[in-house]
Amino acid sequence: MNAKRPLLIALAASVVGLLFVVLGTGRMLAPPTALAHKEKHTLDQLNAFQEVFMEQVKIGDLLFHGDGATEKKMNVTLSKTGMACAMCHPFASDTHPHEFPKFQEQINKFSTLRDMINWCIEKPNEGVKIDPDSDAMKALEVYIYWSNRGSRLATGAH
Amino acid sequence: MEPRASDLDPRQIDLEIDRGERPDRALRITRRTFINKAILAGTAAGAASVGWFPTINTIDLAFGQQAAFKFAWLSDTHLYPKDVNTRFVEKTTRAVAEIKAMSPPADFLIFGGDLAQLGDPVELGLGADILKELTIKKVFIPGEHDWYLDLGAKWEQMFGKSPWTFDHKGVRFIGLNTVGQAPDYWSAKKMSPKERMGHMATLDGSVAGPWAGVGEPQRRWLDQTLSNWPKNQPVVVFTHTPLYEYYPPWNFWTRDWREVNEILKPFSNVTNVHGHTHQVLYNEVGKLRSIGMLATSWPWPYAPEGVPALTKPMIRADPGDHFDGVGWSRLTVTAGRVENEYVMFGRKAVFADAEVDSGTGDNGNQILSPRIADRMYPY
Repeated sequence: MNAKRPLLIALAASVVGLLFVVLGTGRMLAPPTALAHKEKHTLDQLNAFQEVFMEQVKIGDLLFHGDGATEKKMNVTLSKTGMACAMCHPFASDTHPHEFPKFQEQINKFSTLRDMINWCIEKPNEGVKIDPDSDAMKALEVYIYWSNRGSRLATGAH
Repeated sequence: MEPRASDLDPRQIDLEIDRGERPDRALRITRRTFINKAILAGTAAGAASVGWFPTINTIDLAFGQQAAFKFAWLSDTHLYPKDVNTRFVEKTTRAVAEIKAMSPPADFLIFGGDLAQLGDPVELGLGADILKELTIKKVFIPGEHDWYLDLGAKWEQMFGKSPWTFDHKGVRFIGLNTVGQAPDYWSAKKMSPKERMGHMATLDGSVAGPWAGVGEPQRRWLDQTLSNWPKNQPVVVFTHTPLYEYYPPWNFWTRDWREVNEILKPFSNVTNVHGHTHQVLYNEVGKLRSIGMLATSWPWPYAPEGVPALTKPMIRADPGDHFDGVGWSRLTVTAGRVENEYVMFGRKAVFADAEVDSGTGDNGNQILSPRIADRMYPY
């Protein structure tokens, strides 16, 4: 009996080790997920969500107003003319995010807000258009939406 | 002592306006002024409430029976150094060439401010060089972009001080400085001159605050200057910012406009011509008319609210054509009448005839928020 004890300990350790490896590997292979709505939200949680949101709004605001340091940090060139988005769109006015997607005359196709942002970067601003899914684009988009919150949804309006 | 208009509740002032105090009744009644009156009478109340009314084509002003003459308005060129942006240079050069070609020539040019974008001496020098092409009399008032790098030192050295006044063919012309009286937003925050200028140059920024104002010393000067002028003789007041309250968050106003209006109130024929807003605007407050001028640099969008009901909005500009939606103004003074003609590069039809083509067409569905990033530390 005593002779088998080290063997049992070794076996148990192997099983535990194997489980650790399998679970650990599994975690590495599967996409990272976060559980949602399993528990009631706490105030801290909601504040954290809002903080993430507002952080992006602020980055978008800086990009929209031609902040060179933010552009450099995000490796984008939104303008080469000295013009910033806000020079034609103070308070993100006249951007009408609530109308997209729609047919956009300048682009001559059914376009999203991201298409329009890139058109403005390339044409009036003579900048370098950005990846439509980039962090910079998302920040610009959220700043425009945030500035226009409260406007009525009016998809397709000209 | 009667309360000043500035002490009144704004609703009382509106009532006064509704009671019908208007610019000089003796002015020539034309189709356009007649239509203006119809708007005030409420026949177009619905359309006017969103700043849209498809009527007024030009602005008629009443002037005395004097010899005819023309003058030109140019402003808001926002010049950068040539290595940053040549577009604004091209447009300023074009406007100057067109003014030079006026026939008969303009008696004078009024430059209405914002010659430079960031108050840089290089930018101001570039502007002065371009304007040298014009050999007619030139008078200048500053814009906020010309002022806040060195608090107007270079501007005044190059273009002279304001306020100023001169009389020309029966009209008293006055130039005010409505930009140099900003409350000090820079000292406590230890801003560098460039930072101070940067905040001032951001139209929708919150840091520079309500900077547009005439200020008490200049108001006293105005009162004094007009004390010897007959009450029924025409007065034209040039300012960078409008002498009424259009949209304060963008300083589309002059914060002490009510006090200024009190000084001008005894005069039956006063016209304010202003820049800063980069768009077609027309308004009346009591006997004071205000006309907003185009920029040569770029058009601002109409503000989401506050567009005067008397304004016929300009056509929506093509953002892909940087010569569109911008230009200068030719003001022709004939016996008893002045007509303001907007000269928009490449466009004959400056005004929209349908809401869908108008710069205010979408205003009713815009609810906007002030920016957030400039309220963060260290601002």
